[in-house]
Amino acid sequence: MNNKILNITNLSKSFGAFKVTDEISIDLKFNEIHALIGPNGAGKSTLIKQIVGTVKHDMGSIILDQEDITDLNDVERAKIGISRTFQVSSIIPKFTALENIVLSLLERSQKTFQLFKSLNSNSKLFSEAKEILLQIELEDRRKVIASELSHGERRKLEVGLALAMKPKVFLFDEPMAGLDETGTKMMINLFQRIKLNSPILLIEHDMDAVFALADRVSVIVYGKIVASGTVKEIKANPIVHDVYLGYEIT
Amino acid sequence: MIKERFFNKWVFLLLLSIPAIGIIFNEPYYITLATKVIILGIAGVGLNLALGYGGLISFGHAAFFGIGGYVAAIMSYHALNEELLFEIPLAISGSSEMLIIWPLAIVISAFFSLLIGLLSLRTSGVYFIMITLAFAQMLYYFSISWPSYGGEDGLSMHMRNTLPFINTMNPLNFFLICLAWFFIAIFITSKLINSPYGMALQATKQNEERVKSVGIETFKVKLIVFVFSGAITGLAGSLYADLNRFVSPSMLNWHTSGEIMVFVILGGIARLYGPLLGASFFIILEQTLGLYTENWQFWLGLILILEIIFARSGIMGLFDKKNKL
Repeated sequence: MNNKILNITNLSKSFGAFKVTDEISIDLKFNEIHALIGPNGAGKSTLIKQIVGTVKHDMGSIILDQEDITDLNDVERAKIGISRTFQVSSIIPKFTALENIVLSLLERSQKTFQLFKSLNSNSKLFSEAKEILLQIELEDRRKVIASELSHGERRKLEVGLALAMKPKVFLFDEPMAGLDETGTKMMINLFQRIKLNSPILLIEHDMDAVFALADRVSVIVYGKIVASGTVKEIKANPIVHDVYLGYEIT
Repeated sequence: MIKERFFNKWVFLLLLSIPAIGIIFNEPYYITLATKVIILGIAGVGLNLALGYGGLISFGHAAFFGIGGYVAAIMSYHALNEELLFEIPLAISGSSEMLIIWPLAIVISAFFSLLIGLLSLRTSGVYFIMITLAFAQMLYYFSISWPSYGGEDGLSMHMRNTLPFINTMNPLNFFLICLAWFFIAIFITSKLINSPYGMALQATKQNEERVKSVGIETFKVKLIVFVFSGAITGLAGSLYADLNRFVSPSMLNWHTSGEIMVFVILGGIARLYGPLLGASFFIILEQTLGLYTENWQFWLGLILILEIIFARSGIMGLFDKKNKL
């Protein structure tokens, strides 16, 4: 039985002469967190953008749950089960935290194109949104306008938006950037729970968090995967030390 | 600070008082003036849906206003002359019945906004502004070169179109008809913006990339609002034609698009009653400053500049500072 839910083969993208991603092949198995690490400018975020469909690939293929989604656009990929967070928080600034989550629930509950029914009459949507806010520990901030949330709260809200979609896979782009210790711990616990339903492809610079969470780690440098393996294997890999970590790991 | 809803009631009462003054002092002109404000307010409500709630800066809404107007005038013209409108594939005659003309104006305006929307909504920003303007100007020049319906001189209507049991030539009756349509337009807008769809629309205005990432087809969201917007503006056009008993290419001109946009900006973008307030203010300026100078729009420009610098939420925003989209 194929235990891979996401399978990316030879994905490439060039901007002029510059190859941002160079024949990257990577997969994501059920119930796992696969971390993608590498220096800034290595092509991690471009890879995420190629997977979600906002950056067109030059070559390669993407299979999600045994379905070829290579030629689908970004909205179709989101509908089919790819949910993401952005490297720089991307929320609906003038909506409250609760409304942001409700927005994310609309498509899954097939209510986006209800033109004349009052939104407030959809009490199920709001109660489900509150449950998600509870999970990301923002329930008491539900009525706050999103632009007034702190940086860390916005990162959590982004994860909440992704959770609300109940996707097949999560693609998280530096979700812990700027979080304090408590926030990071909360995220680690949350990710360990949600990976059981939907696996996570995680880009993260916080190595402690990566090593605490990841089942597998791939290292990307200059658009190429230079190493891939378990946390133990990556920690022991001298190439990874040379090109990225740059320090001895104990 | 006065709440928006409370303020709306006062605006509405003030508007109602104008025809009352007209009746008391036997000055039907005031009623006509109030009717004009209401109709322009409806056009503004239409544009406000796309511009205010959807963030679609359409500079071509004169197209829908003019289409609505020409539908009313052409139908009336054929009814008067007892000429068929079409012979192929079906024999269709004209009509002077408002109950036929209104739905027709709405449907045809909606159809054109669908066509224009399908092409123009693939662009955004300044390109969207230019493409909507270009479509409207195409229709403007088409109307000029359409001699069957008056060409550059426009088309007069023998009399106002009719409604069963109501004398539409009576200024007060026609005012009340337009007022009823204004409330229908407000009701539809209110329903739309407070629905799940309205949430998706207002979110798309703020952050389209994020909305797409949660699986919502933003193109469809924008197209729907553009069609509703065009249909409401088209209806306003048909009422305007009946008010003046005349249509001309100027209804389709970019000046008209600009004026409708001014109503929305003056009153307050994304405020339900903002366009009505903007249209009232515009007409008051026209009627007062216009007595002293032909170039009264110079002062309008100055007011707009001041508003954009100091009061971006429009007149409505001066009274209700709540955070608006």
